[in-house]
Amino acid sequence: MAGFGIGSEIASVAATATVPITAPPETPKLPPREWVKANLFSSPFNSVLTVVSTAILLTLSWNLLKFIFNPIRQWNASATNLRLLMTRAYPEEQYLRIWVCVAIILTLAGSSMAVWRTGSAMPVTGLGRKLLATGALLVLLALLAPFSAGATVQWLLAALVVAAVGEALRRTGGRGETERTVSTLTLQVVALAGLVASLWVIPFGHHSYIPKRIPQVMHEPGTVALSTKLPWTIMLVVVVAAYFGGVLLRDRLAENALRVTLVVLWLLAPPVLVYLILRDPDFDMGHVIGTDIPIFLAYAVLGSTLLLWLTRPSTGEIGRIVAALVLLAGFATFLSPMRMVLRLDLLLLATFALAAPTFAGGLRARKRYTGAWLVLLGVMSWLITSINTASTVRVPGGFFIGGLAITLMVAIFTIVLSVPLGIALALARTSSMPIFRLLATWFIEFVRGVPLITILIFFSIMLPLFLPRGMHLGEVAAVIIGFVLFSAAYMAENIRGGLQSVTRGQHEAAEAVGMTTAQKTVFIVLPQALRVAIPPLVGHCIGVFKETSLLAIIGVFDLLYMARYVVPGQTEFMGSARESILFVIPIYWIVCSRMSKASQRIEQRTGLGER
Amino acid sequence: MSDATATEPTGGHTKDLSRARDMILCEDVSKWYGDFQALDKVSATIKEQEVVVVLGPSGGGKSTWIRCINRLEIHQEGRIIVDDVELTNDLRNIEQVRSEVGMVFQQFNLFPHLKVIDNVSLAPIWVRKKPRAEAEEQAMALLERVGIPEQAHKYPGQLSGGQQQRVAIARALAMEPKIMLFDEVTSALDPEMVKEVLDIMKALALSGMTMMVVTHEMGFAKEVADRIMFMEEGQIVEVGTPTHFFENPTEDRTKLFLSQIL
Repeated sequence: MAGFGIGSEIASVAATATVPITAPPETPKLPPREWVKANLFSSPFNSVLTVVSTAILLTLSWNLLKFIFNPIRQWNASATNLRLLMTRAYPEEQYLRIWVCVAIILTLAGSSMAVWRTGSAMPVTGLGRKLLATGALLVLLALLAPFSAGATVQWLLAALVVAAVGEALRRTGGRGETERTVSTLTLQVVALAGLVASLWVIPFGHHSYIPKRIPQVMHEPGTVALSTKLPWTIMLVVVVAAYFGGVLLRDRLAENALRVTLVVLWLLAPPVLVYLILRDPDFDMGHVIGTDIPIFLAYAVLGSTLLLWLTRPSTGEIGRIVAALVLLAGFATFLSPMRMVLRLDLLLLATFALAAPTFAGGLRARKRYTGAWLVLLGVMSWLITSINTASTVRVPGGFFIGGLAITLMVAIFTIVLSVPLGIALALARTSSMPIFRLLATWFIEFVRGVPLITILIFFSIMLPLFLPRGMHLGEVAAVIIGFVLFSAAYMAENIRGGLQSVTRGQHEAAEAVGMTTAQKTVFIVLPQALRVAIPPLVGHCIGVFKETSLLAIIGVFDLLYMARYVVPGQTEFMGSARESILFVIPIYWIVCSRMSKASQRIEQRTGLGER
Repeated sequence: MSDATATEPTGGHTKDLSRARDMILCEDVSKWYGDFQALDKVSATIKEQEVVVVLGPSGGGKSTWIRCINRLEIHQEGRIIVDDVELTNDLRNIEQVRSEVGMVFQQFNLFPHLKVIDNVSLAPIWVRKKPRAEAEEQAMALLERVGIPEQAHKYPGQLSGGQQQRVAIARALAMEPKIMLFDEVTSALDPEMVKEVLDIMKALALSGMTMMVVTHEMGFAKEVADRIMFMEEGQIVEVGTPTHFFENPTEDRTKLFLSQIL
């Protein structure tokens, strides 16, 4: 049969001179016994390895299960203190703010999934095979775990049901032409819906910690509190609705414009969520109207006029001189006392002015460039005002938030801000201008030579002493700046590696068509360099996320510190540190594994044009 | 030599270039890499619409010279004047010359992260400041001209070598250059793809483009060149029409070179 098939294929190739795609011959599947023999017991050495590692794995699982299901374990320590682990002492009556933030993030996530068309088709047989394996694993664990006979039977039944469903799917999934598939997105939504439904059905118990004068632990039988299950149900609805909203928009509007809008929204989200919603700055309207808005308007009008002139193609060389003068003026402002916002705005204007000739063009291009300046100026002015304004959220201690919230917050801010700074440093270090090269090299080598803890202590304790009058850095902002500088130095080196991988020929080709150095960098060199640098960059981002646990040293109550010291420090839960830490491990793992998955996806997507 | 007589040189030397203006003017151009002298007082004039083929053994300075003409290499002595603009350290002059001189490389050097059409339209959009729609229309027309409009939305990595080199020619032409430089553009191609690239270069020569071609393709030199320059050890040894060059060269070094390759 096979011989016939191939023969006729060759005949058809010869006849039509087009190459039909023939499926490669299927490798025959080994029966289980043969597979085990070929893969696990192929040689005496392999057999020993298999036996020893199985023994080690079984012992480890057995001990872990014995630890987890020991009745003396205080798992309600984590359940009771969930609020503390997530946000520390964020006031309960303001919790709506947290949920609004989560909802905004989920809305962005849902619509992004639609616009970027994430999710893939998964063959039903594959799903069945996975369920079957999960069932088998559950059977093994149920047998290993120190359950009572009744509980073991219950678990075994559950495991068998999973395995049976898996087997049924595997058999009915079809193969080849008739293969049925299911979207991974559907699977994820079903899994999430199952989790949310379990909150309404399964009696996890209603735990809560009441931090009154005499702290009390309350736990009642039944399902979890309404203040937990209701918001999560709403969140599920929000993310699904956002996805379908995204699909509707995607089919009606230009996809590229949507993507750009979403990226901008993602970049705007962290400061808006933290500084406007969570921190709730107590704006002094008199000051805002009397000082902040006039400063913004003055810069908006003068800056726009300047940029509209600079982006005229006919402006030419005078434009570069003017831009350089603006930059000099920006540096000169540091010589005389004035509001910090005046200096920062001027430096931002100088950056835009220097880049203006690159974006010069027709009226539309000029308006777009000026628009970008106005938006960035607005965001920066508002951020500086917000950071300088005290928060209305009153909690004990220096930070208005803690736990998982601050871990995520610092990690996200650090990652988002240190990427552009890292790019700038890497470009400066590889620049042909000695001053930039020297400054960048010194900065990178200095920061890399100092421990992160030193930098954090410097920024949280000593930096406020150096700040000019009229500039107050919020607690979180100071820490984040320290983190960003540290992380940017490392990122710069990763990106520099990427820059060096761009061949001389690419530079020459860009130069030969008359591109300026800036155009060459933005359109040709950076996209290729960043693609190469994605794996080390994501590795670094995962590192940043985990390094946030160092915040504990300067008195920030992050997730790990909460689990290690705060929860076990409560009289009711003395000695529950191991349980709490075991509880936060999966949280860290989920976030980190998502990041590494995202990196693989980006690599695949950007790998399209690779030769 | 039998090959040279078999195909009669039919170069465009019937073209009357006596009144054409000078497009490229080199005066005593010298360049060193460390102690090694790559160019030794190279002087030459190339007229508008003229097709000049530069021949010579490897390491003779051909590529260095052609790369000096759009300042990918910096010459250390002498003067290079391209379309009345002298190449100096002045960035404005360099940018002006580069936007009027198209170059095609041996290794294609397409931008691997951009689709073919973006490879071609990127420079017109950002350097010439053309509206995107107009630039893409022009890019499609150029891809049509080099015979691969159907590949416009693929990435360079999905194309064959010959197709990539044709895209590279289209990319250079998109800047509407007055001069085209070709630096051994067929050397990295599989033999069966050489012809498709040479055919496009021939068509370009017939359309009146000023061209300077470094190549090892003797057939192309015979057929298309108005003048052939022979370079060795950084010097121009002999200059002449294809007929002169292939049938009765005067210099011994030229004769030796021709006896080795023919």
